[in-house]
Amino acid sequence: MSTAAAVPVIQVRDLRVHFETKKRIVRAVDGVSFDLNENEILGIVGETGSGKSITARTLMGLLPMPPAVVAGGTVTFRPGGRCPYCQGSGCKTCKSTGNAVCAVCDGKGCAECDGTGRPTIDLLHLPPAKMRQLRGMRIAMIFQDPSKSLNPVLSVRDQVAEVFFQHRTADLLAEVGDSAWLPVRRAAHQEARSAERLLLRVPPFRSQARKVRKKVDDLVARALADVQIANPRKVMDSYPHQLSGGMKQRVMIAQAMACDPDVLIADEPTTALDTTVQARILELIVEMQQRRRAAVLYISHDLSVVRMVCDRVGVMYAGQMAEVGPAQQVFDSPHHPYTRALLAAVPSVGQGRGRLAAIEGSVPEFTDDSPLCRFHNRCPHAAAICTSVEPRLRTVAEAQSVACFGYESAVELGVPSTDMPDVPKSSTTTSVA
Amino acid sequence: MSARVKRSESAVVAGLPVLSAIGLKKHYPVKEGALQRVVGQVRAVDGVSFDVLKGETLGIVGESGCGKTTLGRCLTALLDPTEGGVYFEVPAEDRATLDELHARPADKLSATERTELAALDQRYRVDQLIGPARYNYRRNCQMVFQDAFASLNPRHLVRDIVGRPLSIYKEARGRERIERVVELLEAVGMGAQHLNRYPHEFSGGQQQRISIARALALDPQVIVLDEPTSSLDVSVQAQILNLLHDLQKDRNLTYVFVSHDLGVIQHISDRILVMYLGEIAEDGPTTEVFTEAKHPYTQALVDANPVLVDSQARTVKGLAGSVPDPARPPQGCRFHTRCPVVTPHCGWDLDDAVDWLTNHPDLRDQVKGESARTPFEGDITLVDDEAAERALELIQTKTPEAMREALVDVQRSGPTLALRFRERDRVQLVEVLPRHRTNCILVTEQREPDPDAPQPVNA
Repeated sequence: MSTAAAVPVIQVRDLRVHFETKKRIVRAVDGVSFDLNENEILGIVGETGSGKSITARTLMGLLPMPPAVVAGGTVTFRPGGRCPYCQGSGCKTCKSTGNAVCAVCDGKGCAECDGTGRPTIDLLHLPPAKMRQLRGMRIAMIFQDPSKSLNPVLSVRDQVAEVFFQHRTADLLAEVGDSAWLPVRRAAHQEARSAERLLLRVPPFRSQARKVRKKVDDLVARALADVQIANPRKVMDSYPHQLSGGMKQRVMIAQAMACDPDVLIADEPTTALDTTVQARILELIVEMQQRRRAAVLYISHDLSVVRMVCDRVGVMYAGQMAEVGPAQQVFDSPHHPYTRALLAAVPSVGQGRGRLAAIEGSVPEFTDDSPLCRFHNRCPHAAAICTSVEPRLRTVAEAQSVACFGYESAVELGVPSTDMPDVPKSSTTTSVA
Repeated sequence: MSARVKRSESAVVAGLPVLSAIGLKKHYPVKEGALQRVVGQVRAVDGVSFDVLKGETLGIVGESGCGKTTLGRCLTALLDPTEGGVYFEVPAEDRATLDELHARPADKLSATERTELAALDQRYRVDQLIGPARYNYRRNCQMVFQDAFASLNPRHLVRDIVGRPLSIYKEARGRERIERVVELLEAVGMGAQHLNRYPHEFSGGQQQRISIARALALDPQVIVLDEPTSSLDVSVQAQILNLLHDLQKDRNLTYVFVSHDLGVIQHISDRILVMYLGEIAEDGPTTEVFTEAKHPYTQALVDANPVLVDSQARTVKGLAGSVPDPARPPQGCRFHTRCPVVTPHCGWDLDDAVDWLTNHPDLRDQVKGESARTPFEGDITLVDDEAAERALELIQTKTPEAMREALVDVQRSGPTLALRFRERDRVQLVEVLPRHRTNCILVTEQREPDPDAPQPVNA
């Protein structure tokens, strides 16, 4: 559970991502703010089209630009421990100390680093080369469909090894010693051309190349063993099509966790899996998170899964955050009408037959920035103010905030009280009762 | 408009079976090599028998690869069964004869019995119906597919997609057809404004509504729904489930609802059929199956299903291992390789021993081959004597308790191990409570579970 002293690793403030086409601008993410703290699992739930995956991809720098445009906001990454660029071997950014400290105050805590003493990295404006150093090393991602995300022509060994070739070259070459030949160096960076690869098969390069290979194999085997794959040496040689869905997802988690990232983004990691397998994958993700104290951003549309694994949860609707708070609290006493409606729509075991409380209609696309509550046309409590003013997130209970006029006072907003929606204060979630 | 009510009258009484699967098997050949020689059979559906009753919702649930989709397609005669069959509206007296004839293997039947069976097949078996009978069956048994978008022709307008069944069965044409299509669209919560649009212009939920409208066009008795909500959001899923619920009440429909989502199945079904590896593991009334699961697999499915209600636990129980290869299903109870309450009597076989040895970290790449004399008896060859000695020791000490007890005899000669397991027939589906069947031997044969294993929850 998150505590008051939680250190935010990623801070998202007022993020706006738009998709610009010739005809119109679609505001896929429009003013989302949240903190992802160290050692917590933050769940993001919402329907299709609510912008949860776009938010995640923005953090990873994986948006297709164009048509996507980051129209505003900041995403700040504050890694702890070793320098995120040189992994402790010393570079210009960390002034050869190898530690991740704030460049302004040298770790004492200042306004720039928000008192954390950590370096402040602006993920939205990071040069591609530096983003590449972070991606997979400090921020990793698990994708939805493992059979589409793994390369079908590479063996598991080669796919997982790529992470080490990209980020752990120093470790690989340390095996050989200082006198590594140039082709070997290039091979350890995965830059060797075919001629060089031929060269690596003959002495004197061969013995060095073998050492590097052996080291990579050891690392890959360890990464696979970490995700509880029995017999990793055997699985290494297989191709994705030879593995079951659960195994493929494990391989993908192994890839993501290989370099001990600070932040793991899981984008619907169990949607393509059976429930029996899903249970084990969730167990694995929670276990890996607790063991390595990583921060996990867990994106899903499955409310029951989010409730089970997450510490905190954010409910997104049409590109905006509707409600944020501790998972148990949000699910037990939801405040936003949208959260209540979502919870009521889940058919659950132990509930009788009959009609479910469906939310009529679907998530609309927003193309203009007229101020309104985006849920107003599907909301049972919508009132006049909901179509003329944009709601802001507002704290309603401990650590729980909601963007709904039902929790604001008419006096503060300066509107007649007849314009205010009447949202029942105690939750009326029949399905949770 | 009397033509619109073209239901056959024989099975309108509630509770009568509309569709019956008797000894249904569907095997897919595995082909190999340049000559495409058949080297094996994937037993997708392997001997299931059940009835779909008039007006009920039958939920079929199981993991991926358990044959639930194949079963759904056999019911709608999109696939021809390998053995056994699906029968449509069989009167009680013919049903008794059919059951009797199917109870015995085909080569044990006398010539007269065979002609009798062939005659019955031609009258009731859905893939052998001809002429008006086939017509009648087809229009009374419709299907809604998993991927709504893929099942709608992208080049056709909604009016053509929903109106196509009406044209094919010469129900309506021209203006009347359009009127009927609008009626259908209104029944599924859409309207005339959607007539002249293409499928890609709709959201996932609306596409699924269009395919439901198409299925309803001929006013069928049975609709087979193959995971109709698996690609939809919970809010839209609730809309579709409500729609299905209302349609069933209004039109007295019978649903066969295939899904892997236990919450959805539990919500919509009267009766549940749990499938595992081509077999029925358990079937019975919904509440009974959920509260008093008789099969450990059902229990595992229920346990693995995350619930929204007061769960403090960070994890739910999953199942170890994956579904075995359906081309070589395990002997005895097919679930025994993953069962938490397995006994020595569950049908341990040579393949289990080979699997266990090849997956053991100490014996990596040391198992060379196996030659089975029967599924329960055969030789395992390892690379050398030393490996064989180690394998022998592992088998005698480290294998699961139940497997070791089932092992009657093991001997080593050179690099070869000769193993013999206790023999076991295929487990039978037995009615343990009224209208509640299971094939778990803990229940059907009153076996005691392995004392070391965790106790079964309800057995």
